[in-house]
Amino acid sequence: MLKDSLNASSPETASVTQTPPKAPGTGRPGAGEKTVARILTMPGQLVSLLVLVAPLLVALYMSFTDWSPTRGSLFEAEFVGFENYSELLIWDTRFVYAVLRTLLISIACLSLEFTFGLGLAVLFMRRFRGKSVLFSAFLTPMMILPVVVGYIFWMLFQSSGPVNQIMECILGPDVALEWFKNAPLAVTAVIVTEVWHWTPLFFLILLSGLNSVPENPVRAAVILGASPRQVFWRVIMPMLKPVIIVAFVIRAMEIIKLFDEVFMLTRGGPGSSTETISLYIYKLAFNDFQLAYGAAAAFLTLIGSLVLIHLMLAPVRNQLLEAGR
Amino acid sequence: MQTKKLSPLQWVLMLMALTVTLFPVFWILMTAIKPPTDWNASPAIWVPSEPTFVNFKTLFDPEAIREYGVGGVSQSATKAVFGSVLASVTATFLSVLIGLFSAIGISRYGDGNKATPLIILSGRMFPPAAIAVPFVIIFSNIGLTDSYVGLIAIYVAVTLPFSTWMLKSFVDDLPREIEEAAMIDGLSRMRAHLTVTIPLIKGGLFATTMFIFILNWSEFMFALVLSYTNVSTIPVQLAKYVTATAGTLYGVQAALAVLAMVPLVIVGYLIQGHLARGMTFGAIKQ
Repeated sequence: MLKDSLNASSPETASVTQTPPKAPGTGRPGAGEKTVARILTMPGQLVSLLVLVAPLLVALYMSFTDWSPTRGSLFEAEFVGFENYSELLIWDTRFVYAVLRTLLISIACLSLEFTFGLGLAVLFMRRFRGKSVLFSAFLTPMMILPVVVGYIFWMLFQSSGPVNQIMECILGPDVALEWFKNAPLAVTAVIVTEVWHWTPLFFLILLSGLNSVPENPVRAAVILGASPRQVFWRVIMPMLKPVIIVAFVIRAMEIIKLFDEVFMLTRGGPGSSTETISLYIYKLAFNDFQLAYGAAAAFLTLIGSLVLIHLMLAPVRNQLLEAGR
Repeated sequence: MQTKKLSPLQWVLMLMALTVTLFPVFWILMTAIKPPTDWNASPAIWVPSEPTFVNFKTLFDPEAIREYGVGGVSQSATKAVFGSVLASVTATFLSVLIGLFSAIGISRYGDGNKATPLIILSGRMFPPAAIAVPFVIIFSNIGLTDSYVGLIAIYVAVTLPFSTWMLKSFVDDLPREIEEAAMIDGLSRMRAHLTVTIPLIKGGLFATTMFIFILNWSEFMFALVLSYTNVSTIPVQLAKYVTATAGTLYGVQAALAVLAMVPLVIVGYLIQGHLARGMTFGAIKQ
């Protein structure tokens, strides 16, 4: 069930490549294996090269210059070495805060999404009526466009909106919260939106993990006298570990890039108090036209997230490789 | 495993979760059918007393939009809908086509490079704002800014990792003996792939196509920075309404939002069994 596609091409594929299947005598002498492989993968590689790698190289070069569109061609721009990078890391508190804020939002979202997703998945392990309808209903949020989700929650969190109406019912009539005018509240609104949007993904992944837990170890534990709680935490959860980590890694990659919802909800405001890394880079590049500086910020982010994801995958790397065998 | 029945307490939890899940969807649907007087009433009106489809009409009527028009929004949504359909459908088709060939190539012959998955993943990690910067520069030099060709090229490149890895997981599921048998029967390698492999993963091909469509249809940032006057998509139009009017067009925006999300929710339900596979690059199968 778990493939190692996150790490490397599967060992199975590798071993077969070493001993290519040779069609016995009758096979027609069509194109050879290597040629076919090359023809098949060429279009994909070409597109990636032209549309992803080339722009990345341009951006990398740009990040070492002081170029901005008002100063003529990129190739005439002055080469400034690591100046943009040191500026970002040492002097740019707005960038540092954006990074810390993105991390804070990531941690809050991941833990809440995991908790709710796991709770729901456990409920779905039980028997009840209308399971398939409810299953679809719970998946609905993740099918909605991020921009629309941002717009919906922007309406819900208006000062006269339904969220405040409900809060007033519970906490009394004077609780008129201005969600988008207060920094902590605005960050909370972003987290709530993101958790609502992506809890279904955790639910989906964890449920498919729970469903594929083999029965025998569970039965054995029950026979040996383990309580249901022990079975869950000591037997089932360890087996879910690779699935859980894959879910965390995929979500972490997306939250680090968080942009659409925040753009619709707050535009980074009030002030810059809800700016995520992506939003800050966007503003640098397209509001202030500091393209070179923005590119440097992007590469720092890329390096940071690569390190982070590498660390997250470390505990299960071997397990993932095993699962592919 | 033991399948116990849901206890009453658990039913309560389940229904609470269901309410939280569906309430925002209910809200956008209700806002879309509110008459202008109800849009921003204080306190907010939950269910309009006189539901109306006037918002949907306004959306496609340039005259009516202009009447509300505050700031820059005097554009009807017709172009945005057209743009979204054109860009998503074309890009989805190309992405799946190219991805299908790559998937067969990687699954059956290995790609010879163990770092490839990591390179593809790091492409996903790079903040899109930063890929957008060089695109804006390159495209303005070759005249592709504000053109559908440019937008589609980016969409294809960005969704290619998803289509390739999702399709690869379907091809992996297929025993290679089937193709070998076809080759013994005299088919060439390439023909075996085209006439045996592809028809056998039809279901997976459909799910992947729908999944890539969801991604393309939802895409926002590239369209935002690469479109000016010629090109528009629904998400960009939606964001424009918010910027220009600070919410005075509530109902009309909501109508557009509903139009944008309905096809996705339908498509999503159709392929719900494959969503996990798509989101995890084929790492998790159901």
